[in-house]
Amino acid sequence: MSAPAVLPPTRRVDGYAPIRDYAAIGDGRTVALVARDGSIDWLPFPSIDSPTVFGSLLDAGRGGSFRLAPEHASEVSRRYLPGTNILETTFTTETGAVTVTDALTVPAGGLVPLRELAREIKGIRGTVPIGWRVEPRFGYGGAPQRVGRRQGIPVVEAGADAVAVCSFEAGDPGIEVASIGGRFEIGEGQSALISLSFAHQEPLVFPTRAEVEGRTEETRAAWHRWSTCSDYQGRWKEAVDRSGLALKLLFFAPTGAVAAAPTTSLPEEIGGERNWDYRLSWVRDSAFTIDALLRVGCAEEAEAFFWWLMQASQLTHPRLQVLYRLDGGPEAPERTLDLRGYRDSRPVRIGNAAVDQLQLEIYGGVFEAASLYADAGRHIDHDVAKRLAAMADLVCEIWGLPDSGIWEVRSEPVHFTQSKMMCWVALDRAVKLAGRGHIPDDHADRWRREAAAIRTFIDVHCWSDRLGSYVRVAGMEELDASILTGALFGYDDVAQGRLSTTIDAIRRDLGRGPFLFRYLGEDGVSGREGAFLTCSFWLVEALVHAGRMGEAADLMDHLVGLANDVGLYSEEIDPEDGAFLGNFPQALTHLSLIGAAVAFEQASS
Amino acid sequence: MSVWAAMIGGLVGTLVLTSVLRAASELRQTRIDLPFLLGTVVTADRQRAKLIGYVFHFVAGLLFSLAYYAGFVGLGRAGWLLGAGFGVIHGVFAMTSLVNILLPAIHPRMGSSLSSVDSMALLESPGFLMLNYGRATPVVTLIAHVVYGAIIGGFVSLAR
Repeated sequence: MSAPAVLPPTRRVDGYAPIRDYAAIGDGRTVALVARDGSIDWLPFPSIDSPTVFGSLLDAGRGGSFRLAPEHASEVSRRYLPGTNILETTFTTETGAVTVTDALTVPAGGLVPLRELAREIKGIRGTVPIGWRVEPRFGYGGAPQRVGRRQGIPVVEAGADAVAVCSFEAGDPGIEVASIGGRFEIGEGQSALISLSFAHQEPLVFPTRAEVEGRTEETRAAWHRWSTCSDYQGRWKEAVDRSGLALKLLFFAPTGAVAAAPTTSLPEEIGGERNWDYRLSWVRDSAFTIDALLRVGCAEEAEAFFWWLMQASQLTHPRLQVLYRLDGGPEAPERTLDLRGYRDSRPVRIGNAAVDQLQLEIYGGVFEAASLYADAGRHIDHDVAKRLAAMADLVCEIWGLPDSGIWEVRSEPVHFTQSKMMCWVALDRAVKLAGRGHIPDDHADRWRREAAAIRTFIDVHCWSDRLGSYVRVAGMEELDASILTGALFGYDDVAQGRLSTTIDAIRRDLGRGPFLFRYLGEDGVSGREGAFLTCSFWLVEALVHAGRMGEAADLMDHLVGLANDVGLYSEEIDPEDGAFLGNFPQALTHLSLIGAAVAFEQASS
Repeated sequence: MSVWAAMIGGLVGTLVLTSVLRAASELRQTRIDLPFLLGTVVTADRQRAKLIGYVFHFVAGLLFSLAYYAGFVGLGRAGWLLGAGFGVIHGVFAMTSLVNILLPAIHPRMGSSLSSVDSMALLESPGFLMLNYGRATPVVTLIAHVVYGAIIGGFVSLAR
C-alpha cells in the first residue's frame, strides 16, 4: 500500500472545492462526499436518490454542509483505512497533528439510528484547535426547518426528517439560527467524537459514545470482510481493490441496484448545462457490472444485481428502459431544482429524461450479463429464460430502428453503429444461451438470421474506407469511442479485422494523449465536455484483445495514475489540467478499470 | 349493544388510525411512529420492534374499544358521533398523558428530563402534545383518534 500524498489545503473557488478533492463514504444506503478540507458537502438522506441534507456541492450558499477542521491552515493527507470505505484524514498544523476518521456506520449493537454519520477526531501530536459546524439543509436546502434541543442535544427537524448532533469531548455545541457548531482543542492521545443521528418518519435515537465507537469498529470489520471477496492479484491490485470498494459504495443494499454515481449535476463542463442526475441504475452498465463483480470474485453482488435487473424490467417487458430507479421503479421524470449549481453550472437536474429514450444497445448488455451469469454456473430460472427469449424476439423486430445510442444524445435518433453492434451481441448471446439449454430455442434460427443481417448492415453502411474505421452513425464520416465495446464483446477479430484499424483511427481522431473524447459531433446539447475516462479504459481492454500488450500496459499505468489521492475517478477529465468533471465517483469508470485490469491479467497468463 | 361489534370496530379503527398516522408521515407532517415507540419497549432490534409494536398497538386498540363499549353502555346509547366524541377525549389523553408522560415513564429506552449519562441509546421523547415529532403531530393524532372512535361507535350502532 503506497503512503498517502501530503497535499496543501483545498483551494475553493467561490465556495466550491475541486471535484478531485472529494472522497466518498457510504453504508450501502446512502453516500456522503468529504472534501479534503474536512467539509462534508454532499449527503442525500435517507437513500442515495433522496433529497440532500448536505448539498453545498451544488449550492455553496444554501445547500448545507458539515465542516470540521483545524482552525489554522494545515497540510492534509488522506487514505481509506485498508480494505474499507472509512476515510482517515490527517491534518498537520504548526502546533500539531490530528486525524479525522469519517464513517457512515452500519447497524450493529443496541438501538441504532436509521442512518448515522460518525466523525472521530484523534490528537496525534501537539495541541490543535478544531472548529466544527453542522448546517443541515433538508430537501435540497428548500425544506422549512426547526432547531431545538432534546435532553440537551441539538436537533434540527424538517417535516418527516430530523437529525440530532451528538458530540462527545468536542466542545460545547452552540446553536446559531439554523446551524450547530463548536470548538475545542485536542492534545496528543486525546479523542473526540461527533455523531449525526438521522431519523426519517420516526423519533430520533440518541446513541452513546461507546455505541457509536462500537458501530464504527463493526463498520470497519464489515467493509474488510467484504473486500476480501476480491481475488484479483495482478499488477494493478491497489486500483482494482479500490474500484471494487467504490463500486460497492454504489450498490443500493435494499434492492441490489447499482447507482451510476451518488451525485447529480456535477458538470461535464464548468458553467455548462451538461449536468445530469446519475442516482439511477442504467441497464447499459449491467454487463460491465456483472462481469466486473464475477471477475473479482464478488458473486453475491453479481447475483443480487442480475435479479434486480430482471425484476425491474418485469414492468416494461419485453422492452427495456434505459434506466430504472434504485427501487426498481420505471419512472424517473426529469425536473430542475432552484439551486446555483456546482460553480454556476445550471440547471441542476433530478430524474433523467433519458428514461424515455430508445437505446438499442442495452439489449446487448443484458444478454451479455445473462451469458456471463450462466457461464459462472448460476441458474437462469424458467420465467427469466422465457423473458430473455421474448426479448431476443423483440431485438429482431427493432434493431433496424434509429435510436439515441449509448451516449443518450438529445438530438434526433439515428442509426448508431454501436447500437447495431450490441444488437448483434444480444442475438449472438441468445443463440449461444439457447444452444446450451439456458433459454428456449424455438426461435433460435430467426435470431441467427437477424444477427447475420445486422452484421451485413454494419459492414455495408457503418464502415468508412477513407477513415479505415467503423463510424459513429451509418452513412456518416465521424468516429465514436463507444465502437471499442465491439472489441470488448467479441464482435470481430480485433487483431486482424476492421476493429483493429478502428482502434487506431479512434486514437488518432478522438485521442489527446492517454485521453479519449467520446465523439466530436453533434449531440443536441450545447457546450463541450471533457475526455471520457471509461473510453480510455475500454481502449486498454481493446488493445489487450488485439494482443498489443505493451501499449495496453503503458496506457493502463498512466490511467491508474490519474485517480485522485484516495483512488477515485469521476466520469470525465479535463485533458488540459487533469481536473475531474462530471458525477463522482463514477461506477462505469471503476467498472471499466476493473475490466481492463482483469483482461490484461487473463491475456498475460 | 354488542361487545363483539365494539371489538371488531376496535380492530378496524386501529388499522385506520395507523394508516392515518402513516399517511401523515409520508406527507412529511409528523415523525410519530407508534409501533416503533411501543416495540422498542421490549427490544432494541429495529425490525422486531416494529413487528412487536404492531401487535401491541392492535392489542391496545382492542382494549380501548372495550373502554369505549363501557362508555356506550353507561350512557345507554352509541353512534359514530358519540364515538368520535370519545375519540377526542382519547386523543387528548394520548397526547397529554399516555404517550407524553406514561410511556416515557415505563420505556427503558426513552429519554426524559431526568435522563443523564447512560450506557445505551435513548429514543427521542414525544414532548408536550408530542410536538417533538413535528408541529402537525397533535392535529394528526387527534384526527386519527376521532376516526378510530367514530368507527367503533358506528360498528356498535350498526350491530344493534
